[in-house]
Amino acid sequence: MDKPVLRVENLSVSREGQLVVDGVNFELLSESDTALVGPNGAGKSSLVAAVLGLLPRQKGQVWVLGHPLGPAGELPHSVRSQIAYLPQTFALQGRFPLSVAEFVAFGFDPPGPRLPWGGRSKRHEAVLVALARTGSSNLGAKLLSELSGGELKRVLLAFCVVRPRKLLLLDEAQAGLDAPASEQFQELLLQLRRQEGWTVLQVSHDLEMVRRSCDQVLCLNRYLRCSGPPTQALSPKSLAELYGPNVVAYQHHHHV
Amino acid sequence: MFDSAGVLSQPFMQRALLGGLLTGGLGGLLGSFAVLRQLSFFSDALGHSALLGVSIGILLGINPTLVLIPFAVLFALLINQLVERSKLPADALLNIVYSTSLAFAVVALSLVETYRGGIQQLLFGDILGIGWLDLGVIALLLLGAVLYLVLSMRAQVLLTLNSDFAGAFGVRANWHRIAFIVLLAVVVAVSIKAVGVLLISAFVVIPACAGRLLSRRFPVYVLSSALLGGGCALLGLLASGLTNLPSGPCVVIVQFSGFMLALLLRLIF
Repeated sequence: MDKPVLRVENLSVSREGQLVVDGVNFELLSESDTALVGPNGAGKSSLVAAVLGLLPRQKGQVWVLGHPLGPAGELPHSVRSQIAYLPQTFALQGRFPLSVAEFVAFGFDPPGPRLPWGGRSKRHEAVLVALARTGSSNLGAKLLSELSGGELKRVLLAFCVVRPRKLLLLDEAQAGLDAPASEQFQELLLQLRRQEGWTVLQVSHDLEMVRRSCDQVLCLNRYLRCSGPPTQALSPKSLAELYGPNVVAYQHHHHV
Repeated sequence: MFDSAGVLSQPFMQRALLGGLLTGGLGGLLGSFAVLRQLSFFSDALGHSALLGVSIGILLGINPTLVLIPFAVLFALLINQLVERSKLPADALLNIVYSTSLAFAVVALSLVETYRGGIQQLLFGDILGIGWLDLGVIALLLLGAVLYLVLSMRAQVLLTLNSDFAGAFGVRANWHRIAFIVLLAVVVAVSIKAVGVLLISAFVVIPACAGRLLSRRFPVYVLSSALLGGGCALLGLLASGLTNLPSGPCVVIVQFSGFMLALLLRLIF
């Protein structure tokens, strides 16, 4: 059997002295799409941040592609360059003199010191392909700060897809998008995930989307309340336990 | 009529011009990142705190230049920790720090009778007093800053955009944040002699803002900020040398003119 792409064992995380994630265990198998759901303040973003090494762990261990995450989030460059991340917000204040193509090119470069003009033609080629695959070819010359919310999300996906990666973590990446833009983003994500063979962990509040496109759900409210396939983890009983008795599970039907 | 050839042939003026070019270029280079990271006020606070460093040096009978660099670095790290740990708004905290350090510095300097005459130079700079050793230090600093920023360009840009995003893609965000602040503190400390504590932040902020108005590509932005910084310093010093007006203010007036020109070009095109 394949090693899990991500393995989390007994993970606890504190924020400002408060335990926000408590003793969480789970594994992500290769090319699986897992949703992390739970009410506001349940510790979802903290869990993702700890998995990425952005927040210190109080206890527990995280393995990415079989490599243990160091105490300050250290991973070998070869492993780190296989991880992609889309944050909830990506606010740019004022005019930021960086074109979309330049930004995506930084996604092509591996971590660590290097001369920025090395391997230019290969990088340029990869950027053009990434922009085309995310429907952003027309945005290359635009400034990053000139993009709309939906365009920015597509460009962030281009940053992820510009080099091969294994693991993609999304922290409510659709936040701030209207319903059609959110739908388009999800479709693009699904398409790229299949093409790239990404293993995905996404924080989401859109339970209908989770039901449709994810194959595993982790229900978090400080500790893991339930996990399993959507039909099981998103049952009315599980949802009532997770969100409280007043939350009603509903399904809306999409016309194709 | 001014004897411009005579002025330019003087070694002190040649050193001043070279010093201005390097200091201005260094200010513009670091300023291009500092402005995007909203550290403009930070450089101002550093400049004012440097006055406290100078006055401590004078009180202790140590050459102020020797005290200035370690003091500025320590001060920058302390401010960074204060901003991170107190959770207070950075601008309010920096205001407290810089006005308090200025107050202490003025009190300390008022105790030293012999230094009263030099306050003007401390506040507005004395680029004509720059020596070969100062020039060597500034040149080395510029070389170090260029090397560091070029080799870590990916890290610097991603960190400037979004700290968590940068960290997730392998940037040692905390390390680079502190390294940049230390570099900025050293540059501020070294430039004080030429520029003065009151105007040092202009060297960091104005060329970078002008560059930001004119550029649509990141390397162009960084390069134009550095060139504008160096170019404006050169022109300002020439004007200062020819008119016998104070050097720091002359440079800042030229920088401001450059900024207005950039703004005009931006509005027209």
